[in-house]
Amino acid sequence: MKTDELISALARDPTPPPTRPASLRVAVATVLGLVIAAAFVAFGPGVREDILNSEGRMPAMMKAMFSAGFVAAAMPLLLRLARPGRPVGWRILAAGGFGALAALVAVVTLAGADPGQRMELWIDGMFPWCLITIPALAAPVAALLAFVLRDLAPTRLTQSGAALGAVSGGIGAMAYAMYCPIDSMVFVTVWYALAIAMCAAAGALLGSRLLRW
Amino acid sequence: MVDVEAELKALFLRGLAGDAGAHRLFLAQVSRHLRAWYRGRLRHAPDDAEDLVQETLIALHTRRDAYDPSYPVTAWIYAIARYRLIDHWRRHKRRGPPVAIEDAPESADGMFTRAEDEASDAKRDVARLLARLPQKQRDAIRLVKLEGVSVRDAAAQTGLSESDVKVSAHRGLKSLMRMVAEEGA
Repeated sequence: MKTDELISALARDPTPPPTRPASLRVAVATVLGLVIAAAFVAFGPGVREDILNSEGRMPAMMKAMFSAGFVAAAMPLLLRLARPGRPVGWRILAAGGFGALAALVAVVTLAGADPGQRMELWIDGMFPWCLITIPALAAPVAALLAFVLRDLAPTRLTQSGAALGAVSGGIGAMAYAMYCPIDSMVFVTVWYALAIAMCAAAGALLGSRLLRW
Repeated sequence: MVDVEAELKALFLRGLAGDAGAHRLFLAQVSRHLRAWYRGRLRHAPDDAEDLVQETLIALHTRRDAYDPSYPVTAWIYAIARYRLIDHWRRHKRRGPPVAIEDAPESADGMFTRAEDEASDAKRDVARLLARLPQKQRDAIRLVKLEGVSVRDAAAQTGLSESDVKVSAHRGLKSLMRMVAEEGA
């Protein structure tokens, strides 16, 4: 088809109906993703039993808040990258800055611990399963977000993928916090942050394939 | 640059509001910028360049609800054009872009200034030559060949018959080619 004919054909195509705002669509996908991830936890390993009494509520809450921090830090970047031709500005600093801050907190808490106990605090006598569970819980969230994002036409796929991975990882970690039996501050800052960083890295690597349109 | 942005944005927003004529004009103008830009980057594959022009026009059209009006429409077009080019390279399993493609906020300027200069030069030349044609041929060429109006619509607008429009455009083009050849000689 000649370009002139294409232009005529496109111009005859009626105006599309106004769609829902991009931020609303991303928000719906994120909340839905959280519900799905939480359902996986509840029907899989199960919610920690002490979550309703004072002993369990606080640590679970703290871990969920820490994880939500990643979502809040990466979300503006994701929303910004979702549509073409807009500068990212401070949003990339917010996302990167929060990641750096989390790493710093992990190092400081680790350095502040008694040297003899460091290893124990760090891995708490077991393999940090959250490194596997958090990305697994993040996967359905990432799929939902990718579905929404492709419709919005992101043009920087690697960056968008990284932001999408960080948001999904944060959501996955929020759900995982309902189960996670380990309340050590060092454990959480190190392994949660690492698990979410893995999600962001996977998103950056897969972005060019997942988000193609 | 500022003028191009203002002009394109006005056309695009009118198109979004349902003005098909403005939308057509927007796509036609953008296609010229895109063609110059893609040809500059795919010098040895003009067919691929034209394919990319069409792909980008389709993307601009089908994704027009993804445009954020608080940012320049030229930046939006540039981002999509750049993306389509990278996607083209990816599809053809090229490792890296053989020419650097800038991704800075001001990089859209290159697409719109240069193409606009070339286009306005060409526009001026064509206008000068057209002025030497008889009125009927001039109108037929302007409508059918330059503005892309269908023969039927052009006939309705000029009050001529469809075959008259076709013949006039054809004769006018022949005369234009003769003029260009004479000027070149």
